[in-house]
Amino acid sequence: MYVKQNAKQDNLESCYYSDILASRNFIQIDEIARLKNFVMPISGGEHKPECDHLPSSSIIIPYRNRTEQLGIFVNYMHHFLQKQRLHYRIFIVDQNNTNLFNRAKLLNIGAKVAIDNGYPCLILHDIDLIPLHYGNIYACSKVPRHMSSSLDTFRYNLPYLTLFGGAVAILSEQYKEINGMSNLYEGWGGEDDDFYERLVKHNLTACRFCASVSKYTMLRHEKNLKKSGDRFNLLKKATERSNYDGLDSLNTEYTVQKKPLYTHIIVS
Amino acid sequence: MSDDDGESLCCCEYYDKDKNRSHLLATCCFCEDFDEGFESLITGKGFPQHRRQKFMATVQDRLRLPWRGGAKTVSIEAVIPIIVLPTIFIVAAQSLWWTVFSFSTVTVFLLYIFKFLIKVTPKTKFFFVWSVTSIILLYIIFEFIVIPFLEILFEENIALSLLIGGFLFCLYTLKVRANQYHKFQADSENLLHPGTRFHNCSICQTTVPDKDHHCVWYDCCISRQNQCLFIMSLVFAFAALLYSSNLTLTSVCHPFELYETILLPDDCSEVYQAFELGISFVSAIYSMILAVIVLILLLQQILLVSIGLTRKEWNKLPFSSKCLLGVTSRKSHNRGFIRNWSRIICWTAPNYSIVSHT
Repeated sequence: MYVKQNAKQDNLESCYYSDILASRNFIQIDEIARLKNFVMPISGGEHKPECDHLPSSSIIIPYRNRTEQLGIFVNYMHHFLQKQRLHYRIFIVDQNNTNLFNRAKLLNIGAKVAIDNGYPCLILHDIDLIPLHYGNIYACSKVPRHMSSSLDTFRYNLPYLTLFGGAVAILSEQYKEINGMSNLYEGWGGEDDDFYERLVKHNLTACRFCASVSKYTMLRHEKNLKKSGDRFNLLKKATERSNYDGLDSLNTEYTVQKKPLYTHIIVS
Repeated sequence: MSDDDGESLCCCEYYDKDKNRSHLLATCCFCEDFDEGFESLITGKGFPQHRRQKFMATVQDRLRLPWRGGAKTVSIEAVIPIIVLPTIFIVAAQSLWWTVFSFSTVTVFLLYIFKFLIKVTPKTKFFFVWSVTSIILLYIIFEFIVIPFLEILFEENIALSLLIGGFLFCLYTLKVRANQYHKFQADSENLLHPGTRFHNCSICQTTVPDKDHHCVWYDCCISRQNQCLFIMSLVFAFAALLYSSNLTLTSVCHPFELYETILLPDDCSEVYQAFELGISFVSAIYSMILAVIVLILLLQQILLVSIGLTRKEWNKLPFSSKCLLGVTSRKSHNRGFIRNWSRIICWTAPNYSIVSHT
């Protein structure tokens, strides 16, 4: 049903996806910085393939002060997503203050902007994660999908079954239904587990693709993991809070700028 | 004292060097030599030599572990590894330079103490305690620090534990067999067993048939009867050490896949940012160093068994002969490659007593 949300555009032929899904080639880690061949996107980092495509995806990336990674990531993702013949737009949500990094809140803001722009599918993505398989298609499935289940820094193993962070695909409708993520997790950790609790509460069982398709590498960076001291207490009441803490309780100012390669949302 | 006779000791009680019944709780009470010696020290006469010796003897005597049937003495040098090893690990976990510094210090320390202890107290348990402490420490760090990173699969953990189990089984069986030498010692004079040679081991103070060498790290003699177990224990130890260091390093470092099958670490620059990462990394490095040493010993054993030499004979060979892998040397025990191996693999306890009666 959701597949038909995009009206048939100008009698274009349907995009061909089988070869991408069946592809067996992995992208080598040393190729990442070199894969920059892509069609220049429309202003704001949006690209449309010349065929009738899957529902549009918005790639939402919480960000602060990692210029080098931003360059690698954005260039690579344009290449990767164009190979997948998707209609997509990249949103960089930039926390422009010195408070503790609030990943979940930034994702909520990014999701709000993306939903307002009419995107039916949200990909919540960390900036240091690089997908290594073209078959890991950046579109939404009927149930929320955990995309980064085979990460190199985790020895390509899944640390625990309910892990739901890193890269996640969820329909906008579902994201609104669960009231987004919690805004209260400041610092590292906990917000993804909170998110998973909300899915469980709304009977949204998550899915994963097989491990070989879900391979990711993590870009290296200085780890600044100021852990959220409150995260265990917050997590205990995760489901209770979901009614009043989330997408509808955002009271933060932000501005949206269109840059050539991405839409820049500055959160102050 | 006569009242106490016949009554069994509780785990904290013991008979001290003067045959008096004491209790561990009284360890720090009533030491005449210390009191007298200290008194003469503060009165400016210095600590007299005989008092000092007696005091050290009392310390040795009172340093005991609670044990079933009475507390047992612990020699001081055997306690050193239990304190030194964890300390070294904690210090080394601070930074790269601390790792280099503490590991080189330990190497020098071990070389020095090896020469010293072999000369002074050859029967010391120091090296055996060092081995046991290493195994326990490495396993504790793996199970309680590396596993909670949640990056190691249950199957991988089981596989490693099985390797360690295999090693411990070999070590135990090997030591049980080594202790059987004591039985043979009494009638070794009239033993008649073709091809068996008897050597006196100065450390074990027993006669050992077909001795290869005395292993201080296992604290027993290695001879033809347990050489096969010895080699197997080295194989298990090598596999366990290498595997555990690989699991740990790929957990704490940035890994990469070699030929899309083997996971190897490639960037360990962030391991000193947290204590848990640091100590895991240090334990992995320690495991790797041990693995290399074990591998050298293993290859040496394989070579020596193949050419039919014992370790003792090998050590006596001139350097030029060692370079040629001992092929040119005289080998009185050599029975050919297959027989050399079959006699240690298919070793069965010979019935010495029946032979001696005929």
